[in-house]
Amino acid sequence: MTLYWALFSGLVIRPARRDRLRFLLTIAGIAIGVATVAAIRLANASVLSSFSSTVDLVAGRATLTILADGPGIPEDVLGRIAWLERIGAATAPAVSEMAAVAGPAGEVVEVLGIDPMSDAAVRPYVLERVEEGHGPGVSGEETLATLFSLFQKDTLLLPAPLSARLKAGPGDTVRLVAQGQERSFRVAGVLEPSGPARAASGAIVFADIATVQEAFGKTGRIDRIDIVTPEGTSLADLTRLQEEIASSLPAGISAGRPERRTETVDRMVRAFRVNLTALGLIALLVGVSFVYNTLSISVLRRRTDIGTFRALGASRGQVFLTFLAEGAFLGVTGGALGIVLGVALARLALAMVGGTVTDFYSPAARTELTIDPSILGFAFLTGVAASVFSSLAPALEAAAVPPAAAMRHGSVEALRRKGTVPLGLAGAASFVLAFLATLPGPVNGLPVFGFLSVFLSVAGSSLLAPAAVTTAARLLEAVARRVLGPVARIARANLSGSLSRTSVAVAALAMGIGMLVSVAVMVGSFRDTVILWIDQTLAADLFVTPASGRSNVSFGKLPQEFVDRVASLPSVAGWDAFLGFSATRDGVPFTVGSGRLDFIASQGNLPLVSGGDPRTLATTVRQKREVLVSEPYAVKFGVKTGDVIAVPGPRGDVTVRVGGVYVDYSNDRGTVLFDREMFCELFELDGAVSVAILLKPGLTPEEGIRKLREAFGEHFAVRIRTNSALRADALRLFDRTFAVTYALELVAITVAVLGVFNTLLALVIERRREIALLRVLGASERRVKEAVVFEAGVIGALGAGMGAATGAVMSFVLIHVINKQSFGWTIATHVPWLFLTAATLVVFVTTLLASWHPARLAAGVEPASALREE
Amino acid sequence: MGARVLVEGVSKRYGGDPSTPRTEALHEVSFELLPGSFTALLGPSGCGKSTLLNLVGALDKPTSGRILVDGLDIVSRSEPERDTYRRRTAATIFQFFNLLSTMTVVENVSLPLLLDGVPPRRADDAARQTLTEVGLDEKLTAFPYQLSGGQMQRVAIARALVVNPALLLADEPTGNLDSRTGNQVLDLIEELVSARGLTVVMATHSEAAAARATRVLHLLDGRLVAAS
Repeated sequence: MTLYWALFSGLVIRPARRDRLRFLLTIAGIAIGVATVAAIRLANASVLSSFSSTVDLVAGRATLTILADGPGIPEDVLGRIAWLERIGAATAPAVSEMAAVAGPAGEVVEVLGIDPMSDAAVRPYVLERVEEGHGPGVSGEETLATLFSLFQKDTLLLPAPLSARLKAGPGDTVRLVAQGQERSFRVAGVLEPSGPARAASGAIVFADIATVQEAFGKTGRIDRIDIVTPEGTSLADLTRLQEEIASSLPAGISAGRPERRTETVDRMVRAFRVNLTALGLIALLVGVSFVYNTLSISVLRRRTDIGTFRALGASRGQVFLTFLAEGAFLGVTGGALGIVLGVALARLALAMVGGTVTDFYSPAARTELTIDPSILGFAFLTGVAASVFSSLAPALEAAAVPPAAAMRHGSVEALRRKGTVPLGLAGAASFVLAFLATLPGPVNGLPVFGFLSVFLSVAGSSLLAPAAVTTAARLLEAVARRVLGPVARIARANLSGSLSRTSVAVAALAMGIGMLVSVAVMVGSFRDTVILWIDQTLAADLFVTPASGRSNVSFGKLPQEFVDRVASLPSVAGWDAFLGFSATRDGVPFTVGSGRLDFIASQGNLPLVSGGDPRTLATTVRQKREVLVSEPYAVKFGVKTGDVIAVPGPRGDVTVRVGGVYVDYSNDRGTVLFDREMFCELFELDGAVSVAILLKPGLTPEEGIRKLREAFGEHFAVRIRTNSALRADALRLFDRTFAVTYALELVAITVAVLGVFNTLLALVIERRREIALLRVLGASERRVKEAVVFEAGVIGALGAGMGAATGAVMSFVLIHVINKQSFGWTIATHVPWLFLTAATLVVFVTTLLASWHPARLAAGVEPASALREE
Repeated sequence: MGARVLVEGVSKRYGGDPSTPRTEALHEVSFELLPGSFTALLGPSGCGKSTLLNLVGALDKPTSGRILVDGLDIVSRSEPERDTYRRRTAATIFQFFNLLSTMTVVENVSLPLLLDGVPPRRADDAARQTLTEVGLDEKLTAFPYQLSGGQMQRVAIARALVVNPALLLADEPTGNLDSRTGNQVLDLIEELVSARGLTVVMATHSEAAAARATRVLHLLDGRLVAAS
């Protein structure tokens, strides 16, 4: 047996065996933290990876892709790059759209319009079955001729799995909603699920580019041009070629590596991901406080053994390493368990986060969990590192044990008590630094200092915990002398007598409750702000969007014909139509949108950040041909009223002056809002993404819907929602988006309560002899139980109090710094008192319940045998 | 006024289940202690002295036999009654002092009174007075780890006496002290006991300590072998 094994076995493994429950709880604490971090990152990476694999699969063999910053690429651009053919490069234009399969439960598919003449050189299609009369029913990579022969007007190709799901084979008809109308397409062939047929998780159909342009109202425009450069093109040549292509293109249209679209999506979801990861790290932090507590108690309980080992010649370094190894052992075990649990949790998180993210950014994608070993490795190593880090202090303390182990328990705690004032001062300093960290702006679009501020607040609260316990113990003593009798005195003595452990339990609980309070205040405030905003902005009675199958968000657009007919209906008193497109500026995405400013001028339904009258502003902006920008846009691009901004148009940038900044919680991308007339003229677009209708007085929304249905019959496939239904949908989407944050809070609270249970259990085990003595002195079993429950109550109350205070600070940072810098929204603080009171009470009661088992254990201590152990 | 203690045919066996071998710590032990007497239980380690003290102190129950204290059988009493007995009648001091490390000296001493429902102020006053009697009035707010061994044992004695018990059980009270301090502690016990008329039972393996008692019961392998 080696010396280290003897040390590890004698000081770690055997004591751990005797104390199984506590060690298992510690491992569980780390495992939950690691699992949370792993799950959040896995779920996000899976969403992104499903999107990026779609991008890769659609790009096929392309080495460069031309994309527009604004509303599509004019077709004449193809002529400008015709020279590419001369150098042996192949170019393939494509139009991509999103469509719902007809019917209320229809799935959403991506529609890729391609040019069969050129596309086979870029994207490898493998036909499985084709319509009779089109080629020999070949399998293998199809020839250009066969592909060409398949594509006629209103035909499409389906991947085999989608064909099976829709029960539509060659010759059958598939009905898709395009421009708010159901349109029939004939299935010309079924593709093997490979290459581009695997994009969007196989929810993709291919049609002739002209068919898609016509069906989706995109005549004359394309969305992308993929370029395959000749084999053997070097990286340097590719860069040179990219520059040459750029010089052939109009402003706002650029060539680059195909994967840059993934980068754009990554930028879009980054804030969401970073925020969730930070919350996950707090759960881990609560988890590792377990390690500190467990090891700290271990060192205390094994002082005699450590002393004996030291007397037998073990060096300080060896003892230090042994306890560090215990931290590593706990971290490795908890980490390993955590990544297994994390994969399971990720599936759950994917249903929650994934749903939200794909709905917003890629409704057709069916995200599957991608298990990325580097993420699991990261979560595992974070757990181990945090665990080893938190074992440093106990390990140092163990190394300081003198060989004769002459110091007594009380003196160790006394030494720790001396640290209370310096720690308290450090805590106060930490809060000051936390305040200072709220002052700087974002770094690279991320609220780095905001996160630092939250962590400094958490650290400050933890550092103040010993002072809080000491103060509470003193106050309790004053009360104990008069009211609470011996139970309170015993509990009070235990609290300050075991300061290092009780304060860690209080700190962990405060962390959990702080997180609960801050997130609840943030989400509650956000929800109330959004409700108020919805009340102010949803001025119309009915809202019409194209039918979107089973997707929660609308996509596609309604034709101009629909808008015109709505405007002429006798039941309609007023209407507004939103139309817009996605644009990017230096790779940062935003929306260019439009609405009727005269409608806003009459309804005043566009609250302004400055708080001014939207009616007057809308009129002025319309007259002066200016634009309004949303608050997230203003924050993201640092724009204010009076600035002149450039918006990518079909023929280069359009420059406009910003007339005002409006409040908008519908997205964090930021919107530049034009008057509809000006927008349609500048961007050569028509139709609408959604139409808002104000009914004639006296008409109920239900009557309004009936009249619309009567007017349009089955001609349009639209979804009509009443004001209250849209409001409910918006809040449902909001609640689902934040469900994951509540889940994280629950994790942190569970871990913290487990921490209290663990600490009380440890304290009871450690104090067996003292409890026995109380029994000798005549304390009844009930008294002993009461003392433990009382102690838990004090830990719970202190944790709740400190948690509420820290939570208040953290919620300020979350609302006014992190949220503002991440998403650009101004949120009015609203404290959900009822929820917070109920939640804090539940945590407090749970803490008391957690003390039940340790209390029973304490009451069950046999005085004679416990004293004999001495 | 001291207690009259009657121990009748008391045996104590441990184990006997498949995992632990059966051992008999005490076998048919009988004796009587008169009020105000000072009795030593003398014998080597493992002879059953501490077990016997635990049984008389109601910390444990015998396997058979009766223990009557002032005519009341403490063995058959309910658990709350045994708690009360430990609070009011039988006080114990130990070789390792067994002070509560998280409480100050005065808190340690006032605790039995608080447990018995005495108001805190009165309990603290009584504790201070008793600590003055044992010469520790300057250490009231000290914690146990700040005291010497002799001082700790004096606190333990004060804690035992503060409730005015009728019976004092001392388990090797000098076993962890040097001989000079041990003698001082025994002097203190003798002095306080004679002033209060307590019945004292002291377990010891030291002939010299036992010589302080008025009566010595010799124990060997769980049996009472002689009385002197």
